[in-house]
Amino acid sequence: MKRWIRCAGVLLSAGGLLATAACGGSSGKQSDGKVTVTLMTWESAATNKAIDQALTGFHDPNITVKRVDTPNGNYSDKLAALTQAKKLPDLFWCGNDTEQQYTSQGLLTDWASRLSGSSDFGASSFVSSTMKNWKTADGKIGGVPSLLNTYGIWYDIDAFKAAGITVPAAGWTWDQMFDAAAKLHAKGAKYGLVADALTSTDGPFSLSTYALSAGGKPFADNVHQPTRTTIDATYTEGVSKVVAGIKSGAIAPPGYDISNQQGLFAAGQIPMLWSGQWFAAGFLTDKPKIKYGFAPLPQVTKPATLYDAVGICTPSYTQNADATFKVLKYLDSTVWTKVLPDSPVAAPAYLSAQNAYFGALDKAGQTTVAATVKAGLNTPTTIGVRFTTQWASQSNDLITAYWPDILNGKKPLSDLQTMTDKINDVIKNNS
Amino acid sequence: MTAAPHQETRTAVPPVDRPPGRGSPGRLGLPWRRSPKRSSDTLAAYVFLAPALIGFTAFVVYPLFRSAYFALTTYNGLTDPKFVGLDNFHRMFTTDPSFWPSVRATLLLVVLYVPLSLAIGLALAVFCNQRMRGVGLLRTLCYLPVVLPVVATITLWKFVFNPQVGLANQVLKWFHLPTSEWLSGDDSAMPSIVIVMLWSVGSTMIIFLAALQAVPTELYEAARLDGAGPRTVFFRITLPLISPIMILQVVLQMVTALQAFNQPKILSPDNQGGPGFSTRTLMLSIYDNGFPKLGQVSQFGYASAQVWVLFLVIVVVIAATARFSSIWTYSDHVS
Repeated sequence: MKRWIRCAGVLLSAGGLLATAACGGSSGKQSDGKVTVTLMTWESAATNKAIDQALTGFHDPNITVKRVDTPNGNYSDKLAALTQAKKLPDLFWCGNDTEQQYTSQGLLTDWASRLSGSSDFGASSFVSSTMKNWKTADGKIGGVPSLLNTYGIWYDIDAFKAAGITVPAAGWTWDQMFDAAAKLHAKGAKYGLVADALTSTDGPFSLSTYALSAGGKPFADNVHQPTRTTIDATYTEGVSKVVAGIKSGAIAPPGYDISNQQGLFAAGQIPMLWSGQWFAAGFLTDKPKIKYGFAPLPQVTKPATLYDAVGICTPSYTQNADATFKVLKYLDSTVWTKVLPDSPVAAPAYLSAQNAYFGALDKAGQTTVAATVKAGLNTPTTIGVRFTTQWASQSNDLITAYWPDILNGKKPLSDLQTMTDKINDVIKNNS
Repeated sequence: MTAAPHQETRTAVPPVDRPPGRGSPGRLGLPWRRSPKRSSDTLAAYVFLAPALIGFTAFVVYPLFRSAYFALTTYNGLTDPKFVGLDNFHRMFTTDPSFWPSVRATLLLVVLYVPLSLAIGLALAVFCNQRMRGVGLLRTLCYLPVVLPVVATITLWKFVFNPQVGLANQVLKWFHLPTSEWLSGDDSAMPSIVIVMLWSVGSTMIIFLAALQAVPTELYEAARLDGAGPRTVFFRITLPLISPIMILQVVLQMVTALQAFNQPKILSPDNQGGPGFSTRTLMLSIYDNGFPKLGQVSQFGYASAQVWVLFLVIVVVIAATARFSSIWTYSDHVS
């Protein structure tokens, strides 16, 4: 029996040791004095491989870069778990919202002083709007923007020709878009336009581009530190047009499953799709059978577009800030120039790296994509895609409670005001 | 259906044959003090129990008390919890626009799923309980969906229910029937999820099948001799005799429905219980608040409060089922 007890004890000890080993740290100084900088991305296996390949070009005898293998699905869960365990890697992919929230909680390293000045990696070497958006109210910059998303309309050229409609181009209007959606629907498409950006919880922000373009007020005065949300006459006008489009079947209603929308577009099942430039990279490998193009978002009187950027953040407890910043600089300035030619997923925020992206698009014949992305980056009137605040999920629930029903015609347009009043209460309670 | 507790009369506790020199405590009691072997066995028992006890304490008892504390705090996982008393519960019942729709979605799931799973499971079990060729294969086929990987199966159903290119609408078109928006429609989303859950009705069937096979055949023979038809036999003999298993199934299926997560999480178009709140069950709501989309901050305190509400609902439902089950459950036990 004693032998049994001893065996059980050994097994328990072994289990404990294994558990302890599994919780080991991820970065730090090695015994030989070299510093290891850890990195975590949300990219696909193919892009991670390209990043690894590009990182082999990073030469510093005292720094080793180690990418933490992470499945690109459920990145948010992984990030939340590592944040709570205070085990975040030295560099991790983050959205503008995460950067703002974590910085305000003091969880990220503030790079503001390193980005100041006119060095080759200063704030002025990035697209100006991104640096402005990544700075918190108290002037901290908890991460460095890396890639910029541009939103526009993907269109099926053959479907437009068949319906006798001119293909979209810069300067086209919202009314032209709604009209095209109706004609495409009448021609046999299940929906003429699929625009999850308008019908999901991001919808109120996306529709702000209508109001802004018409000279009205956006839904939120600021997505980072909002003081209030507003619904004015131009905004209501825009919503009423979307409601009419959904009612007629020209626009896909709220709840439309977008998980396969890229494939459906490539298969000619969706003639017009509101989405981002990142489809271009997939189309280069998947080669859709349809002829397609990418146009800027429509306008009323002047261009207005959505702002959305992702970046790279560093936890406040990083042990090697200098080494981490060196790797960060290499990632933003050099890695994208090596990765984007093969997979032009988005324009880099670092200006000098943008040639690699646009060069890849030009080489692949994606001229409309390149033109639309450039137009988007140069549009002065922008609105963030969603709130980046800590209480954003509460406002999202309120939007979910009203927005889909308003668009489906189940609730009157006057409920837009009720929705904004309640969101303003949330803002007030959390300010 | 009332109980019929008079089949056999059991007397008090049967005499137990105690092994000489081991079980009898004698006058002084505490025999282990006098038996080194017994002492060693007891110690070994505790050692073998230890992993389970440690696991239970670490993964059930501790989180239970911890979540009760978090339920009274605002806690986002980034900063220390801040005690707010019953504010989370106040928000839940008064201002949260998603809570009552979540309750409604959960109740709708219970109302649709539980009766259907019991009816279909029982029907399949009765069918598979017959003596016929290929019945073994039939039982295997009915049970097969239960052993398939759940997430893969649910993901396949998502493709089946795609309104534009999915198999479900294609089949409806072949028969010239109107198509559906399935998971994308406010009204059709939850019934679609119930269909996917019923895909695994084999687990219900297999328990019913075991219950049916435990019914003494002489009762059927006696009933037939008395001239009872199949319907009478089923409702007067089969159903009463499997009623204890029916109660078990009701409880199991209700708990399954109240805790439904995988199906709404994977199948809803936004993976958050959409369209709107139509498929946001309480479990999914808890998860969404605890582990929100990338870029949103966790609300562990609020999610913990929701956990306790769901926990209490489940306890009340099971307690009520157990309390009232004796009214219509057959039992051969003498109270």
